[in-house]
Amino acid sequence: MRAIIIDDERLARRELNNLLENYPEIEIIDEAVNADDAVEKINRLEPDLIFLDIQMPGKTGFEMLELLDKVPRVIFTTAYDEFAIKAFDVNALDYLLKPIQEDRLKDAIAKILATKGGFLPEDLPQASQELKHKLGIGDQVFVKDGDRCWFIGLKEIRLFESDGNYIKVYFNNVKPMIHKSLNALDEKLDDRSFFRASRKHIINLSWVESIETWFNGGLLVQLKGGEKVEVSRRQAARFKERMSL
Amino acid sequence: MSRHKLYWIFQIAGWSFYGIIQLSLYSVQFQVDGLFVFGELLQITFIIAITHLFRIYILRNNWVSIKWVYLLPNFFLATLFFSIIHYCFLILVQYLIGNLNPLQDFNKFSILANMLQSMVLFWIWALLYVSFLYFERYNRSLKYEATIKDIELNNLKSQLNPHFIFNALNSIRALIDEDPVKSKVAITQLSNILRNILRTQPQELVPFSEELATVKDYLSLEGIRYEERLETIYKIDAASNYFQIPPLMLQTLVENGIKHGIAKLKNGGIIALSAKKTATGLSIQIRNSGRYEGTDVSVGGYGLSNTRKRLALIYGGKASLHIENEKEGFVLTEIIIPESIINSK
Repeated sequence: MRAIIIDDERLARRELNNLLENYPEIEIIDEAVNADDAVEKINRLEPDLIFLDIQMPGKTGFEMLELLDKVPRVIFTTAYDEFAIKAFDVNALDYLLKPIQEDRLKDAIAKILATKGGFLPEDLPQASQELKHKLGIGDQVFVKDGDRCWFIGLKEIRLFESDGNYIKVYFNNVKPMIHKSLNALDEKLDDRSFFRASRKHIINLSWVESIETWFNGGLLVQLKGGEKVEVSRRQAARFKERMSL
Repeated sequence: MSRHKLYWIFQIAGWSFYGIIQLSLYSVQFQVDGLFVFGELLQITFIIAITHLFRIYILRNNWVSIKWVYLLPNFFLATLFFSIIHYCFLILVQYLIGNLNPLQDFNKFSILANMLQSMVLFWIWALLYVSFLYFERYNRSLKYEATIKDIELNNLKSQLNPHFIFNALNSIRALIDEDPVKSKVAITQLSNILRNILRTQPQELVPFSEELATVKDYLSLEGIRYEERLETIYKIDAASNYFQIPPLMLQTLVENGIKHGIAKLKNGGIIALSAKKTATGLSIQIRNSGRYEGTDVSVGGYGLSNTRKRLALIYGGKASLHIENEKEGFVLTEIIIPESIINSK
């Protein structure tokens, strides 16, 4: 498993490096010293796992995650940060407190290795080189709305709905809002799995339950979660083409 | 509502009520005419004025702090005095409205009865007023104690900064392999800081030199964490060492400079500490790279307000703390400690 350590302190990075020497499964491919550095390295090297410090100059670890399209597995590290620790606990995120206890590290790594797969790019069926950079159903994203945050596999997301400058993300029984434009998102999503139904909606094709004809030559798609989404007339022909054998 | 306003409302409402009661009692027995009402009005106005004088007397003589033995005769004499004045006034009013009846009004028993009546009235009034003062003083002392406790608690919280302690421990742990000698020094420095925090009583003062030693230990530890990202400069007048300052105050402010300044800058910055004796006292200046966002109170914002409260408690308005953005990306925090505190020590 390829990992990057993100921490602004050299000694903290070194300490984690030392501790990880006992885990041959984890290969440290690089280190980053702040959020911008980290974003650049994650996008370029596409690691499977990052060790992420919360308090860094410029942007915090959480803010950094919001900048990423495709999010690797994350283990947070912090010395002491009441707010962050509360967020970790509330959202069931993996974290380590510095100085790091070897037992805790062992558990965290075991957990990561156990749930390996599902989200990881190598599980994608023969992804072409071009598609590798797109967000497919095998990838996970980081969604943060106020105090709550989620690492969520794209395959779990049924629907993206634009709402002003925000996008509502429908998955499980929640629909948090993220600050992004639907057009920008549409360009990043793998169009084999996601379909731009209209100006306001992008749907996950694997969640489609039924399709009815609708006014003006449009279609009405019902998703397995219960949402009903209108497919505009302009997109209806493309949709039929995509869904038919 | 201010205390003063409250007093006047009670004063006027209470005595007006008394006047109305008196009028209605009279109306059962006598024919109440305009003149009578006017007389009553005059009397109420006079009583309000005279009890107000009584209040001034109570406050001047600080009745709430006097012992009971001294208070009782004082109480009796004052009410007697005001009753005599009150009776003289009644006679005057009777005379003015042509109602004076020398036979009845100067009768011994009549005088005694009237005096006793107004004395009881003044007793009740004074009793109410003094118990109000007692109650208020008690309330204020509770509030004061609560404030002190609050400050102490906040102090402890801001001094025992776990983020710093755990980060320092983490750095030292890594340093043990890399530079064992330096890691030993670091452990001693961390011990010194912890000892200072645990030992300190919030009310005590310590010599400036002692506080400076703590700050140097602290900055040296942060130096291990931030490495080339933290540069420290000291410019300390030898005369500064004779001043007494609240313990860990400087340390808290320097820590703020790190937390809100250096820690937020990718390339780090400088912390410069200077202290010099001036005409008004000791001027301590802390400069750190960064920018002070006056509105940023959410993150550990109690450091500053807490320090202000502490200064006010110890030095009364004579010490000051101010913080401002200087040009070229520096924040200046300046504390003035008054000289008088040396003499009093």
